[in-house]
Amino acid sequence: MNWKNVLSLMQVDRKSGRLIRGQKVTRYHENRFLAYWPYWVALAIGVAVGLLARLAYNSFAATDPSSVGSFRDGALSVFASLPTLVVIYSFIFTLLQQVQRSGVRAASQVPYWLPVTWQEHTLASILASLFGLPLASVVLIAAALVVFSPFIGLVVPAVAASLAVFAAAFMASATTEVFRILQVRFIGAVYKSTGRAAVWVRFVGSLLLFLVFYIIYFYVIYGAGAVNFIQTVASVQSAAWFVPFVWLGLALLYSFTSGELLVGLVFMVVSILFIVGLFLLATSLNRRFGLYEPPAITVSRGVYAPKTGMLGRLGFSSTEAALIRKDLKAFTRRRELMTIFIFPIIIILVPLIQTLGTTGQAPPIEASAYLTAFTFLFPAAIMAIMLGNFMIGEEGQAVWRIYASPISARSLVKSKYFFIVLFSLIILAITGAVGTIIYQPSLRSIIISSLEGVFIVFALGALSLSNGIGGADFTETPRPRMIRQSTSLINLIACLVAGVAILAPFIPYMLSSTLSTFMPSLSIPVFLDPYTATAISAVIAIVLTVIFYRVSLNSARELLRKAEI
Amino acid sequence: MLGAVAVELKGVVKRYHEILAVNQLDLTINTGEIFGLLGPNGSGKSTTLKMLMGLVTPDSGSITVLGKDVQKDPVAVKKLVGYVPESPRLYEFLTGIEYLDFIGDIYGMQTEEKKSRITEYLKAFQLEGREGDMITSYSDGMKQKIALISAFLHRPKLLILDEPLSALDPRSARIVKDFLQELKAQGVTAIMSTHVLEIAQAICDRIGIMYQGKLLALGNMKELRQMSKLPDSGLEDIFLKLTGTGDTRAIVEELLK
Repeated sequence: MNWKNVLSLMQVDRKSGRLIRGQKVTRYHENRFLAYWPYWVALAIGVAVGLLARLAYNSFAATDPSSVGSFRDGALSVFASLPTLVVIYSFIFTLLQQVQRSGVRAASQVPYWLPVTWQEHTLASILASLFGLPLASVVLIAAALVVFSPFIGLVVPAVAASLAVFAAAFMASATTEVFRILQVRFIGAVYKSTGRAAVWVRFVGSLLLFLVFYIIYFYVIYGAGAVNFIQTVASVQSAAWFVPFVWLGLALLYSFTSGELLVGLVFMVVSILFIVGLFLLATSLNRRFGLYEPPAITVSRGVYAPKTGMLGRLGFSSTEAALIRKDLKAFTRRRELMTIFIFPIIIILVPLIQTLGTTGQAPPIEASAYLTAFTFLFPAAIMAIMLGNFMIGEEGQAVWRIYASPISARSLVKSKYFFIVLFSLIILAITGAVGTIIYQPSLRSIIISSLEGVFIVFALGALSLSNGIGGADFTETPRPRMIRQSTSLINLIACLVAGVAILAPFIPYMLSSTLSTFMPSLSIPVFLDPYTATAISAVIAIVLTVIFYRVSLNSARELLRKAEI
Repeated sequence: MLGAVAVELKGVVKRYHEILAVNQLDLTINTGEIFGLLGPNGSGKSTTLKMLMGLVTPDSGSITVLGKDVQKDPVAVKKLVGYVPESPRLYEFLTGIEYLDFIGDIYGMQTEEKKSRITEYLKAFQLEGREGDMITSYSDGMKQKIALISAFLHRPKLLILDEPLSALDPRSARIVKDFLQELKAQGVTAIMSTHVLEIAQAICDRIGIMYQGKLLALGNMKELRQMSKLPDSGLEDIFLKLTGTGDTRAIVEELLK
């Protein structure tokens, strides 16, 4: 194993993710400190968390010296849960990241024609996946443990837990590597054999994959009545002792909590063996199936018959209709874009799992009104925000086609905005129907929630599109980025403010119904009837929509003028 | 069939930070002309072609394409132009035919006209049978053919082709060359950059040689021979002499040490 090769490959992979649109790329010089900002931030947060824990411990010890013992036991229980928790979320995160990576990169991987061994390539790939959020989490946890532990005499368990969380993240990343190669091999074979149906196999398959992992994730974090998820993880890992992914946690548990050092040692040894085994398996699979050639998916074999389509009849020019049809195909064929459709499903399922999991029965009537509004508004809003953010950046490096074609800013914005609104309204209709069936709200609630959903979709769609144009990131390697992270964050805050502004006329109702539930003696005057509130809400939404549609037009003019890739 | 001015650049300058990509470029290309733009890597050819398309904004100077100002009316210019960039990235999630259909719609082609032209071009470039496959599975040559067809499809008045023959098989390259000659007879102007000097010599009416952002030489083969004082030489010798990159023997010997 040439460690220099591993380091170089890993650095190239990670560096490609840091180059974004608009940076100076001629005579490029990277500020190393800023390049690794997530880890510095994680370190700072970890230290802060450690100091806070120390403060908590000091106040406990000062007020009730007898509680020190139970505090130590609680801390050890948390330490023992951390590796399993890190395994779960690192696995989901790295897997999602891998699925979103573009096939182009996979097909042109330099290691395939450079003198690099499969071991080196596999290890670099695993470590590269590990960078980012998983490693930042490890840094955060380790910093918190190291700062906190000396004051309660838990230095050795803290150091062991820090090493264990790193090993857990590596274990998750190695598992993802195995999944990645299997996916390349077997899904590729499925596509080759299914022809036109491959498009739908890929779409449904990807949705199911995400759905399963998200449900597992939310079930572990929030599920099964878990008020305290640490308790859940601790109980899950003890019950599932035969699953290798919990062995690191069990090693800590037996060594430091139960005092069975020998058993702990055994779990630690088998954990290391399991990690080595995963690495060897990934290397062997890479050697056998790693050379990726994208399968030729044949979508049509018949005689070419161009369609006129109904978009023309709706008043769209041929250019605008072509852009909408192209985007429709992009969102149903590109795996990284399909993930957008999973969020509305998750948003409906998560509160359902939480509510039904906690009580085992339907929510009370007061909660039902909020859950109805949530189900109507939130998925459609998220859809409008995400689509608005991604609609321009999803063009990727092929954006030159837009720049070089006779497409005006007006046509570009009109077609993109129509797509955002159309799909968000479809989501509103579906989730609204689901919400109506589950929570059985009144007709008035259904009408008002639907109207508010429409207002939110139009306004947040325009706002997000304006930001999506301004902050478009056409980087495609190692995964399509579509929007700058900073713009995405700003957009989220702006959408939150805009959403609150649109719903503001209903705030007296919310206050009134909430407070009357908990404090029946208190009465809040409701000075607007619901339909007047809806009308005011509509005016606010229209104003926001017009403003941000115009901002989008100006941003699109600037984008086309600069023609920056 | 040379006629009015198709493209005119006056005092065009483009700088990328410290790098001067194009330096005071003056150039006029006539209607119905096949113009070859040559130069070593990094000499400013692609930047010049992108500026003609309005994809790069010049720092100073003016560019007129088919009588229109590229900066003032880019959409009108793009309607009249067919463009193939260097290493074109296509929408890989579309099939070949879907991509061409998209291009036809973008340029506002009528349905029947679009259908017949797409069918003709697919046949000419031997893409029949693969047109229903997603572009992601195409070879580089097949992708280049799709990029070329998408430039020709709407019968533009001006073709801007950056390395159009790269990755093409000999038959397809021959078709493109012959097709350009036929289009020229119909009054279509073509501007192409290439590193294959034999092709430039064979099909271009005039050739411009760029070096370090400047136009070193401009003319037909006879004029270039006179300029370089190499009366019986081919374009390769002329190019190497004019760009001062001709002393390759010493470099090779140095590399062999």
